Amino acid sequence: MATSSPWLTWAFSPTISAILVTLVISLLLPVLVHSYLYRKATAQALPAFLLIGPSGAGKTSLLTLFANGTPSPTHTSQETQTATCQLPSSALASTDRYRSVNDHTHDQPQLLLIDTPGHGKLRHHALASLTPATALKGLIFVVDSAAVSSAAGLTETAEYLHDVLLVLQKKHTQSRTSKGSQGIAVLVAVNKQDLFTSLPVGLVRQRLEEEVARVRLTRSKGLLVDSGVGLTDDGEADDESNWLGQYGSKEFKFGHMEEYGVEIEVVGGNVKGEGEEKGRVDGWWGWIGENL
Amino acid sequence: MLDGVEILTTSGIVLWRRHYAPIPRSVVNSLVADVFIEDRRLQTGDTQQPPTSYRKDKYTLKWTRAKDVGLVFVAVYQSLLHLSWVDTLLTAVKTLFLKEYAPELAKPHLTKLDPARFDPTFDALVRKLDTGSTRRPSVPDSEGPGELTPPSSSASATEEAVDEPPPPPPPQPLFRKPTAPASQRDDTSTDATPVPTPDTSRPSTPASHLLTAKSGPGKASRRARKAQQSFGNSSAPASSGDESATGRAQAGKTGTAKAKRRWDADGFAVEGEEEVLDYSTAGATPSQADNAAGQREAADVPAVDSAQMGTRTPKGHFILKDLDDDISALLANPPHQQNHPPTQTTPSDPTLLTTATTKLTSLFQNILGNKSLTATDLRLPLAQMRTHLLAKNVAREAADRLCAAVEEDLLNRKTASFTTVDATLRQAMSSALTKILTPSSSLDLLRDVTATTTTTTGAGARPRPYVISIVGVNGVGKSTNLSKLAYFLLQNGFRVLVVAGDTFRAGAVEQLRVHVGNLSALARRGGGGSISLFERGYGKDAAAVAREAVGFAAGGTTTTANAGGGAGGVGLLFDVVLIDTAGRRHNDARLMGSLAKFSQWAHPDKVFMVGEALVGTDSVAQARNFAKEFVDGTGRLRNNGIGMDGFIISKCDTVGDMVGTLVSMVHATGIPVVFLGVGQHYGDLRGLNVGWAVERLMR
Repeated sequence: MATSSPWLTWAFSPTISAILVTLVISLLLPVLVHSYLYRKATAQALPAFLLIGPSGAGKTSLLTLFANGTPSPTHTSQETQTATCQLPSSALASTDRYRSVNDHTHDQPQLLLIDTPGHGKLRHHALASLTPATALKGLIFVVDSAAVSSAAGLTETAEYLHDVLLVLQKKHTQSRTSKGSQGIAVLVAVNKQDLFTSLPVGLVRQRLEEEVARVRLTRSKGLLVDSGVGLTDDGEADDESNWLGQYGSKEFKFGHMEEYGVEIEVVGGNVKGEGEEKGRVDGWWGWIGENL
Repeated sequence: MLDGVEILTTSGIVLWRRHYAPIPRSVVNSLVADVFIEDRRLQTGDTQQPPTSYRKDKYTLKWTRAKDVGLVFVAVYQSLLHLSWVDTLLTAVKTLFLKEYAPELAKPHLTKLDPARFDPTFDALVRKLDTGSTRRPSVPDSEGPGELTPPSSSASATEEAVDEPPPPPPPQPLFRKPTAPASQRDDTSTDATPVPTPDTSRPSTPASHLLTAKSGPGKASRRARKAQQSFGNSSAPASSGDESATGRAQAGKTGTAKAKRRWDADGFAVEGEEEVLDYSTAGATPSQADNAAGQREAADVPAVDSAQMGTRTPKGHFILKDLDDDISALLANPPHQQNHPPTQTTPSDPTLLTTATTKLTSLFQNILGNKSLTATDLRLPLAQMRTHLLAKNVAREAADRLCAAVEEDLLNRKTASFTTVDATLRQAMSSALTKILTPSSSLDLLRDVTATTTTTTGAGARPRPYVISIVGVNGVGKSTNLSKLAYFLLQNGFRVLVVAGDTFRAGAVEQLRVHVGNLSALARRGGGGSISLFERGYGKDAAAVAREAVGFAAGGTTTTANAGGGAGGVGLLFDVVLIDTAGRRHNDARLMGSLAKFSQWAHPDKVFMVGEALVGTDSVAQARNFAKEFVDGTGRLRNNGIGMDGFIISKCDTVGDMVGTLVSMVHATGIPVVFLGVGQHYGDLRGLNVGWAVERLMR
């Protein structure tokens, strides 16, 4: 049409300049859009390990030891703290297991440690970090082996361990994606082995298993904690889904959790040594290396 | 006469500390737990204003916080002293510390700082502020790298850094030493401070006992060490630690004419001195090696040009240069005064264009997030939130405090991307509510009952019945909820004794008799428990009835119970004793006073207060008045100074969404809610699901 703008006519005409302009725009535009969207290089997500455990077990000290090489004095935590650490040369990462011993060209891998508060009121931080499917490679449950020798300390530790394992079990059985049902490795780090009143690792494991069995029994017989059940009919609480491990079994063993992809290993050590001794944490580093 | 100052992050790592006396770790830990996490107000008594100091054992702690970087600055001193300059010290320390370490603090993932940079600043501050004659040389903490100060020197701060470096401390058994009396540590005091008795109590858990900071060897003055030994802990390991301490001090002091005297466990001086117990230095003899090492390393220390750092005043005091100007400026003009003017300046006379653009940008920022929150941003949404909470039947005091806490938390934070201010506020309020409602340790009633009734070793020597008592104002549902609790216990196979402790109200005993009859019929059908009633009619003293009942349940022989049932085997006749009490107005002093006697005679394991969900603002006063009645024989509130063990909130099915009473009662006392009554039949008892409650409140 004669009254239409001339550049529109030119744009649709088969002239060389029009073709060239089209080519330039169609090639450059995606490049520009890509460089704008990706202007900050997305950092490679480091493998993350979560430090969890009752108050006073030594989680924050462990974090400072792994991050700085020496443990700092600590007090009760109120917030989560993350730190990046590097695997020491004594531990072998599972990704490097086929390398030759004499191969020194690579760096030890880095990992992210997340420390959570252990106080009763702040445990939701920890349990909230468990549920999203981040790059959580493993869970380190720190236990105070001297507090476990008393009944109150054992109960508190076992209740927390029971809650954590139940969350993991539910994540495995009730997730709708295959990513959510991947297993997770759990290390029960028995800390404070240098103390005089500490129990040996095997005894701690046995006592924890018995106490967790008792806790799940009383939880199942206790009152329904679903306050909504009486007031509204939101559905029935499923007894089986709240039972840890094999339904109806009398004892609880850590091996029962393997069915839900949760592999539990119990290793002892101590963050702070007596006097001038350094802590012995090689077992824990070894486990981290295996699960990296 | 400060005992110590610590700077720690909110995640618990101690970034810097200075101890003048050994401070047990539990002191600061309990400050964090009680004040920051649980927010207990009962100790200060004043419930409106935020507490500024905290007392624990014989220490008083004062603190200040830097919220944006997540730091807490704590000062500890003995309660008997009254130091007025501690607040100023803390404010000045905070400002100077933040200035000094600003680049490190800006980085994320902070776990460690170089502490030595702040030491001279701090010493200068203390020297300036602590004008009293009660100063003492600092005792470096035993867990740090260990600067050794020669015992009886009153060296000024700047000379400490260039002292001979310490010989390595010996491996020492981790036993806690009694803290030395403060007055013995000070050489120049003229104050007439009374000598506090040394704390030699043995803490309950061995783990905490063994992990407290050990006062290092040779770091206390000789007099203090003598005091420690003479107060005779009588445990051999402590004295062997002291022996090595004296050996250490002896090696540390080079070139003193007098030989140190050492004492053994029996209080006698050890004359022959070759027996040094420290083998940590590799060398010929320990003392020779240490002397040699000390001299060698003293020569290695580089010379320090003192003129660079500061000047000498005519009086001979050596004052650090820049710091003095900083500090005097700081002390003359405290930072909080400096902060006021900026907030008061308001933009004057904005034109139409600027208002429009600011509104648009703020609207976009609101949607897109990453907006820094100011007080004006938060004012309107907070007011709306407060009204919302009041509409949910939360008491005004609790709503105000929650909103103040959330505002303090959110001020100057940035919103996350793509969240509005409203959404951020809701999230913050949900987490604040969750934190208030979550108990520090969850109640497992069945476990506790089983443990008490079957234990034959450990703390309780012989098994005894588990005593639960129910208190509350008139008409909240005590008897009904007691029967629900009895039904729950019966279903788990326990033998229950119901005690009619309400000897006043007409028909109270008959009501319980009917309940017990129903429940025993239900128990016969299934469950395996048994239930009986214990009553003494009307007009008797409730405390006496309760005591008699507990004795009877434990297996007493002389008294008889009504309505036969549940005679057990050997020992205990009943596993659980449930005591009903009369309803009483919380502002009637005479009736409330009888509760104290009741708790002392009956020794209940658990005291539950029943509050109805329908009550309004009265709930706060009710909870407080009931909680402070339960004192034991020594006048301390039972259950670690809290009073009661839990709330049972009844009639929750009648309120629908307006469950704000939960929050009011927990806020007032810090006592958790353990059960909810959701109906008028025996099975209508539930535990508290915090997520459900918060969701109802935020709906």
